[in-house]
Amino acid sequence: MKALLDAELLKMRSTRATALLVLATLVLAVLTVATSVPGVMEENSSISLDDPDLLAMMVGNGFGAPQVLMTLLGVLAFTQEFRYGTVTSTYLGEPRRMRVLVAKGLSLALASVVITILTLAVTLTLSIALIRSQDGNVTVAAQFWQTVAAGFVVMAAYGVAGVAIGALIPNQIAAVVGVLIWMLAIEQMVIPLLPDVGRWMPFAAASSLMQLGPSYGFFDDQLLPVPLGGLVLVVYTAAAVVLALRITPKRDVL
Amino acid sequence: MTSARSTALRGGLMTIELRGLTKRFGDVLAVDNLSAVAQPGQVTALLGPNGAGKTTTLRMLLGLVAPSGGTATFGGRRYIELPDPVRQVGAVLEASGYHPGRTALDHLRILATASRLPKDAPMRVLDETGLAEAARRRVGGFSLGMRQRLGIAAAMLGDPAVLVLDEPTNGLDPPGVRWLRGYVRALADEGRTVLLSSHALSEVELIADHVLVMAHARLLRSSSLAALRAEAGVGSRVRTPDPERLGAALDAAGLSHRRTDEGVAVDATPEQVGELAALHRIVLHGLEGTADLEKAFFRLTQEPHPPVERPLTAEGVLS
Repeated sequence: MKALLDAELLKMRSTRATALLVLATLVLAVLTVATSVPGVMEENSSISLDDPDLLAMMVGNGFGAPQVLMTLLGVLAFTQEFRYGTVTSTYLGEPRRMRVLVAKGLSLALASVVITILTLAVTLTLSIALIRSQDGNVTVAAQFWQTVAAGFVVMAAYGVAGVAIGALIPNQIAAVVGVLIWMLAIEQMVIPLLPDVGRWMPFAAASSLMQLGPSYGFFDDQLLPVPLGGLVLVVYTAAAVVLALRITPKRDVL
Repeated sequence: MTSARSTALRGGLMTIELRGLTKRFGDVLAVDNLSAVAQPGQVTALLGPNGAGKTTTLRMLLGLVAPSGGTATFGGRRYIELPDPVRQVGAVLEASGYHPGRTALDHLRILATASRLPKDAPMRVLDETGLAEAARRRVGGFSLGMRQRLGIAAAMLGDPAVLVLDEPTNGLDPPGVRWLRGYVRALADEGRTVLLSSHALSEVELIADHVLVMAHARLLRSSSLAALRAEAGVGSRVRTPDPERLGAALDAAGLSHRRTDEGVAVDATPEQVGELAALHRIVLHGLEGTADLEKAFFRLTQEPHPPVERPLTAEGVLS
């Protein structure tokens, strides 16, 4: 398994696309954080500059774009192989396809650690600078650490789920467009408009885990409780992985 | 070329066996009850027109497509059951199997890493296939011929005893085809089993020891190339400055003939044609014997045939 994992990590490192995606995502994270500081945008007035959870909220908001990135990286891990036909040599090297799927999942989980650290480094630095520039209080409260820990879990879950989605939908355009529509349109509409349904969606579950209710105009009790949010996210990820593990070995590679 | 490698094949000699191999895609029967053997030390060609089922057969052999029936094995084991498969079987299935943004060296390093091959294996095979200077170039900038070479380099990474090639000369220029012929021949001469598919008889004629002729999802013939040649009968190719007189003489002798780009093709031995030309005092600039394999191939693949039913043994090819 280590050899397969090393090969998957080498695949990620050996094209420019990964670095460019990460870079673009960090830029988006910066923009998100920059508009999260109270006083910059009207809707951020729900939290004050002196709130002890402000830093956690700003850093947590910064994970929006990286969550999308992790899913896309996961999706691309498989769909690029189908698009360019490299899946043939991958399966010739390791014909037990479940092991390939597991190696890709592990590689995305490892990549998520690096990308989460990069995201935290950028968003935390910027958040502290912005709060201080507005004469606010920078408080490293308990929620901050919970949000950071949740960030690692959410990013890994989205990366692994992306791999499973890519394995299930080999057509790259269909998979990428589908994921973007789901994450950027459907969830963003359903969660505020139909909260009873929306709170069970993956993005709402991730938000509850990161305790971001107030930043989306929700009271905390409109999202699932933190443990349940975490559980829902894990169940979604596990379901996608189980489905992919069942289907991948049976699919003909033409 | 291959002298740098150990000729003592690590996995030993390995026979490819297909037994009753069948694949159905919905209502379409892509491969119908195909049984055949490819022996070590030989180049076996799977020959047939486009859509005959050659690629599906090779993909079933390599575990990429699940058979609807039958088995395909290497030395008695299915591909998925082979320990370290890349060290035992090398395959080239498509020229587009590369990420265009990746360098040739990185492409091979990924494959070598996944199969725990020595770190120097990628450069060794790049050197063998004449791509050493392009090692750090992105594959997106490669010609089709270079990609074919890279595919063969990937197949040879594990120094395998078996090589499976799907239409390996596609996109190769004449020097590339010549190189490939020599490379494949040398591998077979080392005792390796080579199974390649092709739709072009002219290529197979120059490479193969044994041919498996496929059409309409079925195996129509399994025989040595020499046997197929003998069955096809012999002909002659003649170059003459006076084709009209030669044609009249051939007509008078009852020998069928036709004009081609290279002269006149006659359904008779060179001796018969030479004697006839001498008798009529017709000047010839060239006279050579040909086996009309192409005609035999078309006859085989275009006419309806019952399925081949032959005894199959691991020791001997179908005959």
